[in-house]
Amino acid sequence: MKLAVGDSIPEWEMASVSPERMRTMAAILRDPNPLHWDRDAVDALPLGLGKRTINQGPLGLSYIINMLQAWGGPDCLRRIVMRFPQVVLDGERVVARGEISVLREEQGVWLADCSIRLEHDDRGVLLEGTATIVLAENAILID
Amino acid sequence: MVGNRKPIPTEADITRLTGHSFPGGFYSVAHWENFLLTECTGAALLPDGLVHPVALFHIPIVGAGTSIAEMFALGQAESDLSIMIESYDWEIFVALREKTRYAINGSITSAKRCRNEQGNLYDRIQFCFELHTPDDSLAARVTITWHYTRNML
Repeated sequence: MKLAVGDSIPEWEMASVSPERMRTMAAILRDPNPLHWDRDAVDALPLGLGKRTINQGPLGLSYIINMLQAWGGPDCLRRIVMRFPQVVLDGERVVARGEISVLREEQGVWLADCSIRLEHDDRGVLLEGTATIVLAENAILID
Repeated sequence: MVGNRKPIPTEADITRLTGHSFPGGFYSVAHWENFLLTECTGAALLPDGLVHPVALFHIPIVGAGTSIAEMFALGQAESDLSIMIESYDWEIFVALREKTRYAINGSITSAKRCRNEQGNLYDRIQFCFELHTPDDSLAARVTITWHYTRNML
């Protein structure tokens, strides 16, 4: 694998955010927030979202982790910092994207700092942040 | 929602939360739990018993002896709907694995009253949790920053 600053990470697509998975997640997380399973509660908010459910923040974040792991390997993730400027709604198609910002060595291990985001075709960036992943030993770094 | 809204806590009620520690405890991720969590993310199960990092949301909370509901209540959330996420910061030092018993501690590291650009009041509360392996290595550190909005939703 040849890597350089500015390289794009292969994108990862969630074709349709599932309300059923939100319900499963709410049960596992013991999350009492009805935004994740009660469409009427979301509709009652003054946000104009309609009868939708709102994806849990960690689930949106997980799509970005899936992108990083598909690219860098199953245990590549060292750090992820995520902000949530917009909500993710059920039924939406969202795509995780990212680029390499910095390549660096730390205690004999090569790391890639990445700019990452979750995007919607019409609404733009829904989640954004940074991640650090450990590079495979066979990675070739290009200046 | 307005009729059910709770009164806004005083600024002192919020700032005194800094330093609040949760009881602490232990957590092991069962295979079924990792399977269902991973399925929710849309990914395939990871190899060799690796736990999907999405577990870093609930493992620290439950393992430290608290709950999302208690975290809402500590900040006197006016409703379950009023919490907004500022950020999650997950640091992983040792990959998490199923059936490993992690020792977990957590506390509130910051709690302060703020106003957003529109002048709306909110309380910014930051929680930090650490997970240690059975041999006492730091496996992960998780920082959750939430906004407890007041009279906004």
